[in-house]
Amino acid sequence: MQALTNLWRAVFSDEPFSASRNFLICAIFYLVFGMLFGLIASLLMYSPDLIHGIPQLAFGRLRPAHINTVLIGWLSMGYVSCMYYIVPVLAGRKSLWSERLGNITLFLWNLTVFVGVYSILNGYTEGREYAELNGPFDWLVLGALLLVGLNVYMTIFTGTEKKWYVSLWYFMGALFWFPIVYVIGNRAFVQFTGLNDAIAGWFYGHNILGMWFTVGGVGILYYLLPRFSGNPLYSHTLSMIGFWTIGMFYAPTGTHHILQSPVPEWLKAIAVISSVFLLIPVLTVQVNFFMTLKGKWHLMADHIPMRFAMAAGLAYLLTCMQGPFQATRSINWYLHFSNWVVGHAHLALLATFSFIVFAASYFIIPKITGRKIYSRSLAIWHFWLSFIGWIVMMLSLTIAGLIQAAGWHFTLPYDQWVMEMVPYFIVRTVSGFLLIAGQVLYMLNIYKTVFSKSAEPLPESPTGIAYV
Amino acid sequence: MQPRILNYLIAAVFVALIFLTIIFVTAILPATTFQPEATAASHIYTASEWRGREIYKREGCVYCHTQFVRYQDREMGEMVQAGDYLNETPHLLGTERTGPDLSNIGGKYPDAWHWAHHVQPRSVKPGSLMPSFSYLKDSEMKDLVAYLQTLGKERELAARRRKKPTHESAAGGHAAAPAQGPLTWLEAPQEMRDEWKRISKNVDTNNSAIANSGRGIYMQNCAQCHGVTGRGNGPVSSSMIKKPANLTRPFYKGYTDALYYWRLKEGVTGTRMPRWGRSLSEQQLAYLVAFIKTLPVNAATPSSEVEVVNYSQLDQPDVMSKNYEQISRLTEIKDEYPEQLGGGRH
Repeated sequence: MQALTNLWRAVFSDEPFSASRNFLICAIFYLVFGMLFGLIASLLMYSPDLIHGIPQLAFGRLRPAHINTVLIGWLSMGYVSCMYYIVPVLAGRKSLWSERLGNITLFLWNLTVFVGVYSILNGYTEGREYAELNGPFDWLVLGALLLVGLNVYMTIFTGTEKKWYVSLWYFMGALFWFPIVYVIGNRAFVQFTGLNDAIAGWFYGHNILGMWFTVGGVGILYYLLPRFSGNPLYSHTLSMIGFWTIGMFYAPTGTHHILQSPVPEWLKAIAVISSVFLLIPVLTVQVNFFMTLKGKWHLMADHIPMRFAMAAGLAYLLTCMQGPFQATRSINWYLHFSNWVVGHAHLALLATFSFIVFAASYFIIPKITGRKIYSRSLAIWHFWLSFIGWIVMMLSLTIAGLIQAAGWHFTLPYDQWVMEMVPYFIVRTVSGFLLIAGQVLYMLNIYKTVFSKSAEPLPESPTGIAYV
Repeated sequence: MQPRILNYLIAAVFVALIFLTIIFVTAILPATTFQPEATAASHIYTASEWRGREIYKREGCVYCHTQFVRYQDREMGEMVQAGDYLNETPHLLGTERTGPDLSNIGGKYPDAWHWAHHVQPRSVKPGSLMPSFSYLKDSEMKDLVAYLQTLGKERELAARRRKKPTHESAAGGHAAAPAQGPLTWLEAPQEMRDEWKRISKNVDTNNSAIANSGRGIYMQNCAQCHGVTGRGNGPVSSSMIKKPANLTRPFYKGYTDALYYWRLKEGVTGTRMPRWGRSLSEQQLAYLVAFIKTLPVNAATPSSEVEVVNYSQLDQPDVMSKNYEQISRLTEIKDEYPEQLGGGRH
């Protein structure tokens, strides 16, 4: 009975920052699980007979399960965790507007991801890429998002800080935009037919990245960089230009995913032009990133969270140099339909946005729990395994994609070139092993830190350098 | 209300309006303005076929198979049109092609083949990476195959009906060659045909004087690959893995002017044929079309002589001397067939 009461207190706790901590713990669980789905799927890419006769472990079901677990489970929850710490701090409050509401949201979110992914594995899917979660789960995710939005907005409005730091703008933007994108993208109100369904589908497919992961991730990065480096943010003006141009140019880009299909030409033109214009917000983030860290690059040697943040910044540069050019007709014409795009997606979601959450969590968890991270060497291992993992994954997928694109374009017999991709698929699985090993260490490290009985006092360090 | 909060409110409303407008234009507006008319290929599914479609969706086939043929996708059958997709909800367009495009798969293989392919793909396609769907029940498999057999069947049939050469269309101009049987499916994209219609108003490609103007352009730009007689055996061709077209093959006599124009202007994907539209004017391209039409019909293909070169033991001086030999021989050919080179069928 005592254990149950304790569990109840832990789950629906009113303790400051408990929601942030609980969100992160659950998120890491989904991270490892989601990557496991991806790993099994990657094995099936070259040994299709490995798993025989188990529908739940067929490639066509593992892939949506992988995507939804890491997107809705890991990354979104990781973002909410970061927001639940950063927002009260920046708004000048001791805790969230309602920690209990935060924990209830977490309960709702867990329910959605758990049952949703279970249902996807069992074939209960909407069949639209990135939006596979079926009707009821769409509503649950939406409800959870609105609750997060309510909590964050109320925290900001009731905070003592009247000058809002730029991260708060980004979070408010993300939590305003994403529910709208989600409702339209999952076709909750209206059903479109035929190609209009595809247009709405890719509006969502691209904007879950643009209006949620990018906006949220950049917001977190803008909080972390000045903290880590001790420098002020290089330019608030640039960051605001970035914010508004993301809002202007990200929303219409979705159609570049179906650039050669018979959808209206004007829509494709808007999508391509906006995609290229995305260079503006990207460059503002990059300028801010490099200029804020000016003179502090040596910190990377000791400061593990900063290492993650720097890797994320570089990966962001790479992603966003690829993105606008891939979206132009002449390049899309060649690269579309190939594994290059899969590599690009991993670069964005794994190497950039996941790394931002890693960096944030190594900084936030000691702040919340008041303890140093359990093991510094585990964190270093986590960094190198993840870092090498994504580089190998991206390179192998890119090469496989180029082979594939050439195969389709020169109308070579399919059976010939598909075998040429196999070595790169094998390398991709190896990188998957590296990544998952790193994440298991990460899980171990964070869980040990949070649940350990020994309370090693946190050393005084405004930049967080001594926490890991 | 405090003025400060009011400022924020105004900003917030402003953001909301801008963003909602953008969303409206790019996600909602197309659904109201983009209403393509149903084509023959917009299939109305029977109950069994629709169940098959649900299985296709459930098993995640869409993650490896696309369902739209693009302009550049040669040898994948008929192009899709917007009206083909009216009954396709949710859309199964797909984004990644680890396996082939399935837009036109219907009717290509017998049911039994599909059945075997789903149970064990490698039994009918060695080296395939497709997973086995042996866990599907027989009834499910039947539905799935029924669905696959609908894909693109109407599209191909409609295209065949549409492109069947009528007497008028084959006649074209006053001296156009009669379209030759099985080749008439070949056709330039619509925009090229429109462009050609405009250009050909000013240039009569059946005029020998115009063809003669094209001869000079051909000799300067094309002869090094396609050869002075158009047989695809120019000196440069010896070093090409994919040989230049032998324009004297009967196959090319089935080409329409617009198709020639398209190939000249845009080049040929997967070959070294450049996009001449980048360096030659429309008029020059039209002159070239006129000249190419005058090339003689000849079933013999001397380019096969070039192909016998063993590339793994490619001896550069040897190949060069062979080329010179060929060129000198080709100049001799000119004397052999003077009437064919001097104006063709005009």
